Amino acid sequence: MMIAARSWLRLAPLTLLSTIASTSGAATNQIQFNRDIRPILSENCFACHGHDKNQRKAKLRLDVRDVALEKEAIVPGKPEASKLVEHIFSTDADEIMPPPKTHKTLTAAQKEMLKQWIVAGAEYEPNWAYIKPKRVAPPETKNSQWVRNPIDAFILHTLESKNIKPSAEAGKRTLLRRLSLDLIGLPPTPEEIKAFLADNSRTAYEKQVDRLLASPHFGERMASPWLDLVRFADTVGYHGDQNQNIFPYRDYVIASFNRNKPFDQFTVEQIAGDLLPNPSVEARVATGFNRLNMMTREGGAQPKEYLAKYAADRVRTVSMAWMGSTMGCCECHDHKFDPFTAKDFYQMEAFFADIKQWGVYQDYGYTPNPDLGGWSNDHPFPPEIEVDSPYLKSRIDRLEKLVTNIQAAAAQKLGRDKERKKAFDQWSRESREFLKVWPSGWATPTPEVTVKVKDTNSVAATNFSVLADSTLSFSDNPRESVKVSLPVSNMWLSAIRLEIVPQEVPEQKRTAMKKRNGTAFALSATLKSRNGKDRKLPFYFGEADHKAERYANGFAIIGVTSLWQISTQADRQTAVWLLDKPFHTQEGDVIEINLGNAAVTSARLSITPFPAADPLRSGMGPAIAAALSRSPKSSDLLSRTYLLTTAWDSDFHLQARKLQEEIRECRHGRSPTMVTVPQKPMVTRVLARGNWQDESGEIVDPAPPHFLPQLADPSTNRLTRLDLARWLISTENPLTARTVVNRFWKQFFGTGISAVVDDLGAQGEWPVHPELLDWLACEFMTPSFPRTNKGKSSSPQAWDVKHIVRLMVTSSAYRQVSNERPELKEIDPNNRLVAFQSPRRLEAEFVRDNALSIAGLLNEEIGGPSAHPYQPPGYYVNLQFPDRDYHAEKDERQYRRGVYAHWQRTFLQPMLANFDAPSREECVGNRIVSNTPQQALTLLNDPTFVEASRVFAANLLTSNFQSDEQRIDAAFARALSRAPKVKEKQSLLEFLKSQREYYTPNAGEAAKLIKTGIAPAPAAIKPPELAAWTQVCRVVLNLHETITRY
Amino acid sequence: MNDPFNFLAFQRSINRRTFLGRAAYGLGGLALASLLDPRLVRAAAAEENPPRWKGIINPPHFPVRAKRIIHLCMAGGPSHLESFDYKPELKRINGQPFPESFTKGQQLAQLQNTELKARGPFTEFRKHGNSGQEISDLFPHIAEIADDICIVRSMHTEQINHDPAHAFMNSGSIIKGRPSMGSWLLYGLGAETDNLPGFVVLTSAGKTGQQPVSARQWSNGFLPSRFQGVLFQSKGDPVHYVGNPDGVCQSTQRQIVEEINRLNGILAEDHLDPEIQTRISQYEMAFRMQTSVPELTDFAKEPQNILEMYGVKHPGDGSFASNCLLARRLAERGVRFIQLYHRAWDHHGEIEKGMTSAALDVDQASAALVQDLKQRGLLDDTLILWGGEFGRTPMGQGSGRDHHINAFSVWMAGGGVKPGLTWGSTDELGYRYVEDDQKMHVHDLHATMLYLCGIDHKRLVFRYQGRDFRLTDVTGDVAKGIVA
Repeated sequence: MMIAARSWLRLAPLTLLSTIASTSGAATNQIQFNRDIRPILSENCFACHGHDKNQRKAKLRLDVRDVALEKEAIVPGKPEASKLVEHIFSTDADEIMPPPKTHKTLTAAQKEMLKQWIVAGAEYEPNWAYIKPKRVAPPETKNSQWVRNPIDAFILHTLESKNIKPSAEAGKRTLLRRLSLDLIGLPPTPEEIKAFLADNSRTAYEKQVDRLLASPHFGERMASPWLDLVRFADTVGYHGDQNQNIFPYRDYVIASFNRNKPFDQFTVEQIAGDLLPNPSVEARVATGFNRLNMMTREGGAQPKEYLAKYAADRVRTVSMAWMGSTMGCCECHDHKFDPFTAKDFYQMEAFFADIKQWGVYQDYGYTPNPDLGGWSNDHPFPPEIEVDSPYLKSRIDRLEKLVTNIQAAAAQKLGRDKERKKAFDQWSRESREFLKVWPSGWATPTPEVTVKVKDTNSVAATNFSVLADSTLSFSDNPRESVKVSLPVSNMWLSAIRLEIVPQEVPEQKRTAMKKRNGTAFALSATLKSRNGKDRKLPFYFGEADHKAERYANGFAIIGVTSLWQISTQADRQTAVWLLDKPFHTQEGDVIEINLGNAAVTSARLSITPFPAADPLRSGMGPAIAAALSRSPKSSDLLSRTYLLTTAWDSDFHLQARKLQEEIRECRHGRSPTMVTVPQKPMVTRVLARGNWQDESGEIVDPAPPHFLPQLADPSTNRLTRLDLARWLISTENPLTARTVVNRFWKQFFGTGISAVVDDLGAQGEWPVHPELLDWLACEFMTPSFPRTNKGKSSSPQAWDVKHIVRLMVTSSAYRQVSNERPELKEIDPNNRLVAFQSPRRLEAEFVRDNALSIAGLLNEEIGGPSAHPYQPPGYYVNLQFPDRDYHAEKDERQYRRGVYAHWQRTFLQPMLANFDAPSREECVGNRIVSNTPQQALTLLNDPTFVEASRVFAANLLTSNFQSDEQRIDAAFARALSRAPKVKEKQSLLEFLKSQREYYTPNAGEAAKLIKTGIAPAPAAIKPPELAAWTQVCRVVLNLHETITRY
Repeated sequence: MNDPFNFLAFQRSINRRTFLGRAAYGLGGLALASLLDPRLVRAAAAEENPPRWKGIINPPHFPVRAKRIIHLCMAGGPSHLESFDYKPELKRINGQPFPESFTKGQQLAQLQNTELKARGPFTEFRKHGNSGQEISDLFPHIAEIADDICIVRSMHTEQINHDPAHAFMNSGSIIKGRPSMGSWLLYGLGAETDNLPGFVVLTSAGKTGQQPVSARQWSNGFLPSRFQGVLFQSKGDPVHYVGNPDGVCQSTQRQIVEEINRLNGILAEDHLDPEIQTRISQYEMAFRMQTSVPELTDFAKEPQNILEMYGVKHPGDGSFASNCLLARRLAERGVRFIQLYHRAWDHHGEIEKGMTSAALDVDQASAALVQDLKQRGLLDDTLILWGGEFGRTPMGQGSGRDHHINAFSVWMAGGGVKPGLTWGSTDELGYRYVEDDQKMHVHDLHATMLYLCGIDHKRLVFRYQGRDFRLTDVTGDVAKGIVA
């Protein structure tokens, strides 16, 4: 689609460019500026003799050859005449460079290197990452057997040049576990291992790759690092850290990876989906990306200051995620090491100046935001749109099926029970009688009304009238409370209806009514029985056809049960409340309904015996009458209504209600989600030292960084986000493809080809395999290597993510064993040459997913609202505005994957935090991997892992195994995809024995252990046995190997 | 039973010699950094069993005056004008328009777009001790230790809202993902204990003036997570996941840990992966934490007179007083950085009532902590810092005061700080610090604290995203004048 636009780029003059870099010729002994000289200068000299004009000493730049020559710091070919050489070799404390106070020193080898470089002519190269990547033909290798694709040619060529042999291919079990954990973040099942072992075809491995790339879990696994970059979270981050509605964006990311959306399209949709012609819902959801900066609604926050923070955050994120660049430095000053200037930073900011947003998302007296009038800490963060959620839709389907099933079961029960049949017949008779009087199903008896008036001195007591249709009409005076009494007959009372009916009232009064957007009903009802007893009739659920939305911590409150805030948009509106317990009334009873002091001009109250799951559909007179006149006993409608009305089957009643509540929580399968809405761009200025109060800076328009290829012939006067997105994915842009493939490489090989994946600039690292990185970058943008899928070759598309991933994981380099090689310690201490595969501890989410999957607990559903795993109580006690509760999921949602865990920016779930998941307050391109006692404590004691252990144990004990040995074999097969070694098995059997010895006499302790978590424990297994095996499984889930991908 | 660790010790000694310091990943999270900084490899290699981090600054740059820091954070921003900075002139012009010469072009929070009026202090001040330091009547117990503390009146910061101001006070930056000062200190000096986390956070709240605080205030940021602050909970387990599961006693748990480590040892026999050794050590340390945390939080042995001294009514009740007592116990056990938040100081309205109540919450226990450490000989090498994230306006906001960044007060005690000293000053209305050599920006405070800990703040750096970051960003001067 948008790829056609690539031709409108031209190369800007590269001021830094004095020679064109040659990235070919691996392992040459010639001094190369980028590889050998730049790191020394950048580390030791550029801070004072570099880009930043404010820090520059003696007006000398060593990053620009012309200046260095002009100042005679460097005289090519003549080190003796070069001041640089003089200073670095000086022993005089006042002369020596770098100066002692910088605490930087050059080694003898570094000094010699600089000297030799000057001898050779002191040629410069622009930083490698700023030169367009060039596709170099894969080199020839001596061993052609090993080379499966060009990746291997590059890797092996370097290894051979150093006389290193690659490592052997890992065994099939290891390979499939590695592949599975890498591609879908889940371990292979024992059945999958078996199938792979049995497959002796030449393409057995490739078939597994294809299977896993096609798995819907691929998107979940790939989403995690992307969500770190875009700082995806469920809360806004600043101050009160309120919830934000954004999960559809997460699902968009997962779906995009699953559908192998080209990365260029993925880029355009996120940054500028709203600016595409007729943007799809999907593209609009994608623009949630621009809204993922932290936001505040703290009282006293200055909108301008926060707008500046939001803008800077976006520049940091875009430059990190797409350009592998640290533009953040330039908020205050020109970059000290790279050619980015402060002006570049603000020009980048200006691209996003059209995003509709608020500095402070609330309307305070001191910072008025009239368009957010009445907004509270519970409100969402606009603008939002409402979209379908496939997860919620399918959840509704499933729940509705359950309702149908339990209802059928209850109806059958009803048919079998003689007593109940009699009661049903009685109910049918009563219902016929009722419907004769009230055919609609709603009874609207003439009410008796008491009005308590606020100020009796000034207002007449008779400020209402009852009209012929039982409508109450009020004059417009303040009331303290209105009580309405309705006489009832022999009937089941199930629901109460309140209608606000427009009356023929003077225009003036109507306007007055419309103004009252605060008008709300907190309805309550009491049964006044004829024998003088009063009984409260609490409501279970109420809903209205029109209402003003109310919110609780970002979510619209479902229904109007405790409060109905009427809409100002509609004249006629209706609300219905279902009674908590249906109640059978008698002739002579009275229902008293308290309307409170709601200021409306008219109201009409009705009652019904016939409830429906959706309160507004209650009544159903004609349908029920029709059913009653046919054959009542076979009518679904009648049995359902009877069951709901009388609650004779209390199990069904409670279950049905719970299910209906869960269905309602799915919000009709829809969810709001934050999106980008364009508006007139704000003015963007260069802020001196980043000071938002300084209004003296130059006003800037959007533009890419000055030293990179520019957009040619932009379509409009002012560049847009769409231009930015197209600039990022242009084949002329040297950064994007390299940045992305370098991160993929890290994901599959442990370290990037350029190790500092979040900084490809001068302070980053000269890539160990520059030709390979460039080849991959080119292959990503314009593929030429055929893709093989299911044995058939096809041409990959441009920016084909799965193509690049497939190349990496099908390479021989990837398939090596992961054992370290002591003999390489000196040559390659960090395995950068990939002479073996690097082991990797699983990332936080996958540590959890892996344990749940091994245990057989994992919920494999895709997408949907974030879920709440167990969390230590009181963890949110320091959160306010609003105060926060945390309710861990009590059903299968407890076992959802980590990628769906509720991400509270200020208090990240402790299990995730302990395993180094970032809080996602700031863009993170490179997760830390640590190894701490907190991780040990988590795996040992977090209920998630204890519960997983006991369910794992129960599964081992209820499967068809003949012996403890077989169970241990099975545990290893599930957790580690391998058989235990003899001594491992012996050790565990010994351990099992000790645990049986403990738990057999301590059955009470055993019973406690097997109750951890919400999963039921099978009653068939004796608690001591289950507890002993739970302990064995705890050991297995805690093993280093279990949380490591080898 | 047989001791699995003898067998493992043999494995370890071989594997460590061969592989330590050159893991393909890990190094406790320092792998990437270690590619670029050989010092990290050395620091990690210095890790023997137990895996105690010995610190990147080893040996220290200067004599170590403070081995540990206790930060009593008065969250919300206490008024300097009612605590340690007496302004009679402000009292005199109480209710009058605030002189525009002070406020023109300056940043305001909730007083944006309002008429500014002077609000005089509502308390009296007196001189205390031989040093004659001026302290308000709200803090009678702190007044008693006037000769032990150094009051800094010239504090100023850059952030006027709570959240970023806390971030700035803790990490020297408002950009998220930067390490907090406790993490920096732990990274710099290493840990003194293997049984407890090296950086512990406790929170409490007052009756009014509460503001949220975020876990990012004790985040390790881009440093490895071993340097994170660990929040002790007031409910349930003090440390997350430190309690055994129900139905598992300590000796059974011990068996589990031994079995895990035995199997991990078997794994190490044919997987040359140094992370396995680290993992084994971490399980040992985790188990030691499980044992020592209950002992730490068991106040049974604290005598009544000590409880009374702090004003602890119910030990372990999550009050500031109880937290101060726990802070002393943490300090005794070698925890490097202890941070207490008391959320009670955001007095936009009803400051008289609110601040009186907040002062009552903290006064006695703060003073008791100093005295208790002193009587145990621990004050000499423990630095106490007392103060908030900013001050409050000399202009009134209804019945309270708004946030203020140009002036606020903190006090320090112990750890090589000159006692009985008042450092720095503000103008006659307490609006702005005086621009002299006693001014104290947050970066200056950090530089000084690190100096007292034996660290040159310019040399405590970590390479991240291509840049050497430090706690003090690019500025910061050590206030040598307050060093004893």
